[in-house]
Amino acid sequence: MKTTKKINLDGISAIMYPLAFGIIVFLMWQGGVLNTLLHTDTNTLPPPSRINSIIFDNTAKILLNLKATIIVALIGLLLGSLIGYGTAIIAAQNKKWGSGGITLASAFNAVPIVALAPVMNNLTKHFSSNVDYRSMLAKTIVVMIVCIASMAVNAYRGLTELKPFAKDLMKTYAASNFTIFKKLLLPNSVPYVFTALRVSLPASIISALVTEYFSEKVIGVGRQIRENIVTAQFATAWAYIIVSCFLGIVLYVILLLVENSVMKNRKIK
Amino acid sequence: MERKNIKKATFLVFAAMVVLSFSSCSKEESATVTETKEVSTTTTTVSEVKTDKDRILEAAAAGKIGNWGLGNEYEILALLAKYDQPLEFLSQDFTMDGFDDDSIELASAMTYNELGLVKNDYDGAYGYGDSVGYIDMNDEGVAMLEDNLFTTKEFAMANPNTVKAFIYASLKGWADACADPSAAAEVVYKYGSSVSSEHQLYMASEVKKLVETDTLGNPVSNYGYMDDAAIQQTLDLAKTYIQLDDSKAAEKLASLTIDDIRDTSYWVAATESVDGSDLGTPEKTDVKIQLKWLPQSQFMGYYMALDKGYYDEVGLNVTIVPGGGDIAETTAVYNGTVDFGVTWVSNMISANAAGMGLLEVAQIYQRSGLLLVYKK
Repeated sequence: MKTTKKINLDGISAIMYPLAFGIIVFLMWQGGVLNTLLHTDTNTLPPPSRINSIIFDNTAKILLNLKATIIVALIGLLLGSLIGYGTAIIAAQNKKWGSGGITLASAFNAVPIVALAPVMNNLTKHFSSNVDYRSMLAKTIVVMIVCIASMAVNAYRGLTELKPFAKDLMKTYAASNFTIFKKLLLPNSVPYVFTALRVSLPASIISALVTEYFSEKVIGVGRQIRENIVTAQFATAWAYIIVSCFLGIVLYVILLLVENSVMKNRKIK
Repeated sequence: MERKNIKKATFLVFAAMVVLSFSSCSKEESATVTETKEVSTTTTTVSEVKTDKDRILEAAAAGKIGNWGLGNEYEILALLAKYDQPLEFLSQDFTMDGFDDDSIELASAMTYNELGLVKNDYDGAYGYGDSVGYIDMNDEGVAMLEDNLFTTKEFAMANPNTVKAFIYASLKGWADACADPSAAAEVVYKYGSSVSSEHQLYMASEVKKLVETDTLGNPVSNYGYMDDAAIQQTLDLAKTYIQLDDSKAAEKLASLTIDDIRDTSYWVAATESVDGSDLGTPEKTDVKIQLKWLPQSQFMGYYMALDKGYYDEVGLNVTIVPGGGDIAETTAVYNGTVDFGVTWVSNMISANAAGMGLLEVAQIYQRSGLLLVYKK
């Protein structure tokens, strides 16, 4: 009894302290103290109330841009992760060159999005005469490339770091390769897959926002941030920055909830 | 055993990819078909000689009008509105590749820059020659004023002599540059070579035209003159086509008058000065000017004034700060990083709507340099 109570208290204070800090920063921001401390005026750093009113005045437009960003980020994440996992499966079957290959594949992580985006725009130009489709494709490919490496590296570990002799045991049961994959490798790799997703989900959102800067179609939360900063509309740019932060946080929380429920079910089994 | 496994795994991955690409392709095809149908119906109604209007309607229907966006698009929007077309354009990058590969039919181009890159055949240009034509924003009546000289109201109030001296020396540089564009091009090339020397020369000769001709095609001899009618037209178009999500800024934009964006008194004092020495001692002597773009003949007057020592003569130590990419000259001047800036009047208007107290003190370009180029 005593211990559980103590844990609860710890849990509450663990949330309370950062929350209190956040509230203090928020109040300082709204009250203009933050502007004084940072030597900026309310044009460069508008108070939250103004940003908030811009978000509520433009919900339809913001949702339209948000939708474009979410589609690019999630489809890119899905495709990148599938390819990454596929790469890991192939690499895990050929351990001789597999681990080296995975190390090389992780070099994809170093490709700058800023360089990739214009290249993809040019490559996809003749894919369709519809600019909505081709600019969406160009952006999705960039996100996909960014997401491949983390999944490949993590899934490779999930497929190779098995319990000692687990694979040998399966083989003594005369299990087929597919059964080994289904019953042993796939379940073993699930926690690693989530580790990869926790890295690549934020990365997919960031790369979706940045590729929008260069796309042929003027749409997306990232593009709105750029347009508004260049035309000196900082309050509106802040509104889109806040929206993109919320997008990142909400998707990350959803991922954590899914991970929690999946891992719980596994334990019960 | 192991081989089989690889085959299965790769097959699965490939199958997934094939399914995905097929599903997206089938959608693509249907979209393409409807698109071409639309185009063909418009082309059949067109008579043999295409007018500019035909070209605009055709390109708008195909969704192939390009512009850079980022505050450069308002004249194009005004043109589309003039012909009752939807206010949409393709985002054009800072090359003319989209025009070259036909993904853009009507591409935005500045007379002094992209038009030269498209027509001329020197290194780095496309060499289309006379096989391209263009639609001029001045002729279409949707011209908005572009390169000006601006500072903040605050800076102008606190340093009136500096502002007058800066205008005086800069205009002297512009007069020299327009008198001998080829010499100006060489000077610019010396200070920064973002493009080839041939292109700098082409640019200098085109910029001269913009500095010495107004929107109606009449010659202008007093450099930097602020024509109320042209500024009013720019402001009116800006109020119609600058869409601001921030209701507070939108209200401010609607309430702006030309007196909120320009002050002619500094320019009048500078032009009335006999030799620059009668403008009073500059309050601030070390000043910086932020250009709107990379070092090029677009800004030849300032480079000329610097090179010939005109700034030194009026007691100013001037640093020219090149722009480019996403550098917002309005913000740089507003936050005091630099003292003066060169921007398009429309960009200054939207910055002032957002609460920046920027002030135009001279209007260097008297007409719009924006065109839409097409292949004949």
